[in-house]
Amino acid sequence: MKPRRIAAAAIFLALAGVASAHRLDEYLQATIISMEKDHVQASMRLVPGVAVFSSVIAGIDSNSDGVLSKAEQWAYAERVLGDLSLAVDGNRLRPRLVSVDFPAIEDMKEGRGEIHIEFISDLPRGGPARKLTIENHHQTAIAAYLVNCLVPRDHDIRVVAQTRNEQQSFYQLDYVQGAASREPAPLKWWASLRGWTASVGFASIFDLGMRHIARGTDHLLFLLVLLLPAPLIASGSRWTGLAGGRRSLVRILKIVTAFTIGHSITLALAALGLVRVPARPIEVLIAVSILVSAIHALRPLLPGKEAGIAAAFGLIHGLAFAATLGELGLGRWERVAGILAFNLGIETMQLVVVAVALPSLILMSRTRAYRYLRIGGALFAEVASVGWIAERLFGVPNPVGGVVDLIAHHAAWIAGALFLISLACRGLRDVLDPQAARREIMTESCAVE
Amino acid sequence: MNAFSMRMLRGMGVLAVICLSVTAGVAETATSRMVAAANTFLSTLNEKQRQSVMFAFDDEQQRARWSNLPVTMVPRAGLSLGELNAAQRSAAMALVSSALSRRGFEKVQQIMQGDEILKSNGASRPPGGNAGNGPPPPRGNGPPPGNGGNRPPVGGPPGGAMFGKDLYYISILGKPSEKDPWMLQFGGHHLALNITIAGERGILTPTLTGAQPALYTLGGKTVRPLGQESDKAMALLNAFDDGQRKQAILSYRLADLVLGPGQDGKTIVPEGLKASAMSDRQRAMLLDLISEWADIIHESAADARMTELKADIGETWFAWSGPTTVVSGKNITAYYRIQGPHLVIEYAPQTLGGDPSLHVHTMYRDPTNDYGRGITKE
Repeated sequence: MKPRRIAAAAIFLALAGVASAHRLDEYLQATIISMEKDHVQASMRLVPGVAVFSSVIAGIDSNSDGVLSKAEQWAYAERVLGDLSLAVDGNRLRPRLVSVDFPAIEDMKEGRGEIHIEFISDLPRGGPARKLTIENHHQTAIAAYLVNCLVPRDHDIRVVAQTRNEQQSFYQLDYVQGAASREPAPLKWWASLRGWTASVGFASIFDLGMRHIARGTDHLLFLLVLLLPAPLIASGSRWTGLAGGRRSLVRILKIVTAFTIGHSITLALAALGLVRVPARPIEVLIAVSILVSAIHALRPLLPGKEAGIAAAFGLIHGLAFAATLGELGLGRWERVAGILAFNLGIETMQLVVVAVALPSLILMSRTRAYRYLRIGGALFAEVASVGWIAERLFGVPNPVGGVVDLIAHHAAWIAGALFLISLACRGLRDVLDPQAARREIMTESCAVE
Repeated sequence: MNAFSMRMLRGMGVLAVICLSVTAGVAETATSRMVAAANTFLSTLNEKQRQSVMFAFDDEQQRARWSNLPVTMVPRAGLSLGELNAAQRSAAMALVSSALSRRGFEKVQQIMQGDEILKSNGASRPPGGNAGNGPPPPRGNGPPPGNGGNRPPVGGPPGGAMFGKDLYYISILGKPSEKDPWMLQFGGHHLALNITIAGERGILTPTLTGAQPALYTLGGKTVRPLGQESDKAMALLNAFDDGQRKQAILSYRLADLVLGPGQDGKTIVPEGLKASAMSDRQRAMLLDLISEWADIIHESAADARMTELKADIGETWFAWSGPTTVVSGKNITAYYRIQGPHLVIEYAPQTLGGDPSLHVHTMYRDPTNDYGRGITKE
């Protein structure tokens, strides 16, 4: 028994030994940046694994004499710098080398040598909310990138967010700079409000709110589907009549406002920690809200009560927004400004989407084609919501999220196409059915009455 | 009051006094135990060995002369266990043991055993280069080479051996004292203990633990030197709800330690899920996970450290990157980081060796107190 166990252990270890002889085939490139008021400094550690050593060294030892001269070292460091794109607030920066330190070539051959490069770049003046980006294209095929930021020594600089792609070849640092980033002085109401909003990175969080709703395709889908029947009048269990243009507009505004009020309430409550709801049921309920509004677009469930639906489900969507805000790790006071900024961001993006969709909806609602848009849109939303429910409730994987995201990705094109189609439909109708125009004028006057 | 109870009372009083005086006499502190063990160890050495093992307390080069890499790749200074005779060696291990908790010492032994196994595999070549953490042997910062006061680091023993228990080095910085600060260093491949003693305070940062193989069989028993570090982290991640997981799990790959050897005193912007957004139970689990490093040092220092970390817990972050599941009985293959005002812990599985569950590096730091700088004020 025992000898056999020992033999088994020996085999296992022999295998482990073979495995430990595998070579490391990555080129580690670890960057740590440190932000100062007027410049950014960075130190890079470059460590080629033994398996890629020869290809890396070939790029350094340009005359292939087996010796890395100072000139070759600096030329290589310049090349590394050239492979970096550094920008602040969208403006390309020109970093310059501060120091270059190479290990002995033998150390590198064994995979233990670290090349150290330090560089610096002046930062142009900018607003309080700033954005630094670093893209590293150096030896992408074999690279393992790491990028981090030191906690700024300067208390006037506050990091708001760090964003990276999966490989860390792209890195973005959102930060707030200036006296504004300090704790608010409670002296002057206005000054303290300004300091306070800047301290949480108002602009960045506003931006986050906009991006959140733009990427939160489920929130938008809910809103858009709810808008579908807005230009129509229900009679019994069917959408039949046509509401007047102005009436449609008022209705749409009511729906959007009600949604805003609903999600603002719960966003505030949850972000302040007054309400705590686990994420999963919220995500499921959001999918349910889409299903309900999709059914409503097919057959009026609560005709004329769209605003009520929007407000009620807005309460649920607000809880999901709060989760995103919670990720920022803001303090309690900062959170109040954060909520405001985030909500304004959401509102702005929401209004943009509505403003883009609205003309098409109203134009097309005057044609027979609208029926197909409404039914098609509602069916699509139904399928999507059922997919989401299945995924979020039972963990059934399905392509719904991916497909919706794909569509959302081309939202601008689709919106443009929709507008052209609605124009075309309207034009066609005027040609084919001149009566309709007169009917519409009558409805309009009815609506005004 | 009768005579009997008077006598009884007096008797109890005497007993109490005896007890107290005995306790006071025996009441040796952890520091005094360490000092005694250090002096015993030093007394077993000859003069030349003593010179090799002792350094100035503020010798920055020696402080930073540690790595995850084998000693042949990054030479350590001090005395290797292989250079010691049996009595010296057991005195050295007794000193290391006096600085650590039982569990901490066990962990150290299991890491060394793993390296012994790596050696008995016949792996005498480097394990295929590094994973990018070894600092270059200190140079450039100190006096130029050839300076008389600067001893050259001791290289690995001849014969090409690269792994094994013999290749762990011990060194003492400063004079072992119950009052004045001094340091004990012990380490080699996948191990670097930097223990600063200042009075009754004991500081373990920075310390590196690692393991390869991170799972092996010995005497029919499966050993995972850093198994708790894996299991407790997995359990914590699994205790999060969806919203918390979303925050804790980073969307990008972390190929290696960010604050490995050579990165002393750096504080990066924390990421992941803040413990203030965790439940009491989750926070307790996080503290328990942290204790896998904090409790390596002897009990009284560990208690003080855990008290400090508990006070910080609301400001402590947990971040995870990589696979979110584990094969039962094996180690996780994901990277994680715990960061607080006085803490950085990194757990970084290594692809080197093929199976990242079999090879891991971990780092334990207090950026405000590397080598006890925060309490010894130089």
